[in-house]
Amino acid sequence: MTRTSWGATLLTILLSLAIGAAAIMLLGYDPVEAYYQLFRGAFVGKFNIGGVFERFVPLMLTALAFAVSAKVSVFNVGVEGELYLGAMAAAWAGYALTGLHPVVHVPVCFALAMVVAGAWGAIPGALKAYWRVNEVCVTILMNYVAIFFTSYLVGNPFSARTSIPRTPSIEESAKLLRFLKPSRVNIGLFVAIGVLLLVWWVLYHTTWGFRLRHTGQNPDFSEYVGIPPKKVMVWGMILSGAIGGLAGAIEVMGIHGHFLDNFSPGIAFDGMLASLIAKNDIRMVPVLALFLAVLKTGALGMERFTGVPKTLIDTIIAVFILLAAMEALFSWKRRGAASAGEGA
Amino acid sequence: MSSILIEMSGINKEFPGVKAVQDGMFTLEEGEIHSLVGENGAGKSTLMKILYGMYSPESGTITVRGESFPSLTPKRAIGMGIGMVHQEFMLVREMTVLENIILGFEPRRGAMIDRRAALDKIDYYARTYGLSVHPDKKVGEISVGEAQRVEIIKTMYRGAEILVLDEPTAVLTPQESEQLFEILRSMKKDGKSIVFISHKLREVLEISDRVTVMRGGRHIATLDGSSATAPELARLMVGREVFLGGTPVPSEPGEVALSVEGVYVPGEKELSKLRGVSFSVRRGEILGIAGVNGNGQSELAEAIAGLRPVQRGRVVLGGVEVQNMPPRKIREHGLSHIPEDRNLRGLDRQSDVKENLAACSFSEPPLSRGGVVNWGRVREFADDLIRSYDIRPAGVDVPAAGLSGGNAQKVVVAREVSGRAPVLLASQPTRGVDIGSIETIRAELNRAKKEGAAVVLISSDLEEILSLSDRIAVMFEGRITGEVSSSEADELSLGLLMTGGRR
Ligand SMILES: Nc1ncnc2c1ncn2[C@@H]1O[C@H](COP(=O)(O)OP(=O)(O)O)[C@@H](O)[C@H]1O
Ligand SMILES: [Mg+2]
Repeated sequence: MTRTSWGATLLTILLSLAIGAAAIMLLGYDPVEAYYQLFRGAFVGKFNIGGVFERFVPLMLTALAFAVSAKVSVFNVGVEGELYLGAMAAAWAGYALTGLHPVVHVPVCFALAMVVAGAWGAIPGALKAYWRVNEVCVTILMNYVAIFFTSYLVGNPFSARTSIPRTPSIEESAKLLRFLKPSRVNIGLFVAIGVLLLVWWVLYHTTWGFRLRHTGQNPDFSEYVGIPPKKVMVWGMILSGAIGGLAGAIEVMGIHGHFLDNFSPGIAFDGMLASLIAKNDIRMVPVLALFLAVLKTGALGMERFTGVPKTLIDTIIAVFILLAAMEALFSWKRRGAASAGEGA
Repeated sequence: MSSILIEMSGINKEFPGVKAVQDGMFTLEEGEIHSLVGENGAGKSTLMKILYGMYSPESGTITVRGESFPSLTPKRAIGMGIGMVHQEFMLVREMTVLENIILGFEPRRGAMIDRRAALDKIDYYARTYGLSVHPDKKVGEISVGEAQRVEIIKTMYRGAEILVLDEPTAVLTPQESEQLFEILRSMKKDGKSIVFISHKLREVLEISDRVTVMRGGRHIATLDGSSATAPELARLMVGREVFLGGTPVPSEPGEVALSVEGVYVPGEKELSKLRGVSFSVRRGEILGIAGVNGNGQSELAEAIAGLRPVQRGRVVLGGVEVQNMPPRKIREHGLSHIPEDRNLRGLDRQSDVKENLAACSFSEPPLSRGGVVNWGRVREFADDLIRSYDIRPAGVDVPAAGLSGGNAQKVVVAREVSGRAPVLLASQPTRGVDIGSIETIRAELNRAKKEGAAVVLISSDLEEILSLSDRIAVMFEGRITGEVSSSEADELSLGLLMTGGRR
């Protein structure tokens, strides 16, 4: 990423905050006070800072999952489903396997979540690669399948038989260590950051990543230089699915301690937005995930202390996406003009 | 002394990041054929589109029959008798020839289109200038040569006295070109004035009264057609001495490295299906495959490279049957391939020069080890290639989309040739490339041959085929219609084979 596009992103952030300020003023509140409370609500106190990171982890991982699939030119709306299946797999491994040492138990839960969600991601990948089935339709539908299937599981075979539909609590040995108590932030944060760095390294420093990137950018070119684009597309989707599954596992093992029916309020869709705003640039993904996490966490404080409705933050996020999309449109137009000249 | 019809002077036109025309000038006298030559990107099309009113220049004046304008509109240009046949034809494929000709200028009788009047006029052009067309055929069904005649009739139908033809021969066979020249000569005799854009110097010298050379958007010189010479024009176009043409370097062919035996391949169109193509190439020779585009050359190249399924027949590469193997396997058996379309296949335009150069060798040491890319080595590798193939701008991180046509093609050639594969399949290797790069690329093909590679050169540029190939095969409608050695080949006999005639 060039310096100018970092600058452009920063500008977009500032501009959307400014438009948000105007909206706050129109509602009759003081924007300075509102933003001050938003800032406090995100950064002052362990609970608030922890809250930011709590939100950051699944946002960042789901954004990363989306970005990885975008690298193989799959528009993967199915991360939410991957998240659910990964969460369920981790929850099952967390309560059903007993007597394991944490050093074994935690990785086993992670691995199962990633395998299940990775396999789930492979389905739309293969459908698109080999049969040219539109991945957007497939992944939207598969989200319903995944969410209803987990609903069925918590209601029946995996139910804890409690008043709310959830699985039994996972073993202590499967729980992720928390810090910054009383917030629920946990070592899943470091796992997520580790995964981000690893994925970045794999994409940009391995031959596997080389194949993956070129397949996404120009499958005809890939095929011609001897990279099998169809296989690579499926592998990209498996990786994407595994990351989405890991996000679900961390939610279960670090935050809830069990799989709760319908536990995600569309986390992966927020992640998708973060990735889209980041133009699927892996280096920008954590920045935007953090930004969204700060806004969403701080919004609670803002509402509590100033009365500005926290849904206003969603408006700011929407404005932000709009601006980012316009910026993308703009740079795309420039690129189009440059390439039009060559054919002359 | 003939009078001056058009005078353009001090023309400047800028596109984002490119000064397409700088201080451009051009004059056209009544009744002359005036050629406008220059490399790709010299600004020829832009200058003429300004004349035709499609672009307005930032500055300059256009004087038509003594009347000066800062800029024109197509409507006004047509009104003043200027007609232009564009590089890309602008016909509606689903409509008939007649409908295309009268589109927007329909002769009417009452509320009805007067078909008779239109047909009479078309008939008149056919008789006067040899512009024969089939008025009732759909444009999608006629040949390129005929489509071009339709374009010319269309401009005349709108009353053109001044005709601008933008690279009309790029899409024609030698015979069709000759036919076009006859038409142009008879139009000239009839008092029309013609601007002929080309970069094929031999044609230009054959037909022009005057020649104007452009380079880098500027007017370089205007010469008399009768006294200009090809080397002089080439030097003016490129800005330095160039050596293109010539005859094939003598060779001593070794064993057969690639043979294609009775290959059938489904095609994009009926005409381009391969129907039993056979040939073989030895190490140390160049086999040229000539033909008008769309007669199965693209399918042939893709079939050999594993990018298109082979229905029947065998492709034997280094003794191994490779038909229908994945492209990677075929490359491993010794094929390198310069594809015909560098933007579609040849390059990943979203990536940079180093990754494009390394795309065939990144998975092996020293560029990577154990699956980990050594970027330091990749940069060195790319830097070496950039230097030895004179790729400009010389930066490993330059985005591929920012390269000019010639330099983009050099990236492709460098990647494919530097691997020293035993078989090199080069498909239209110099299409849309400037003369300087053509020189480099042709020299590379000759070097590969000298070092013992078997080279298959697929090209629709006969001059290229004739100046490089040891043997020449001609493709027509999915078959090889003849094979000749370079010593007995000439444009005439090849042109005949290219259009389906037998020798
Ligand atoms: N519509 C356009 N937009 C941007 N750049 C253009 C456009 N048309 C031409 N150019 C640029 O202007 C220059 C001259 O182009 P052109 O007149 O087509 O050259 P020629 O016809 O001599 O090959 C080239 O660098 C080309 O890329
Ligand atoms: Mg042109």
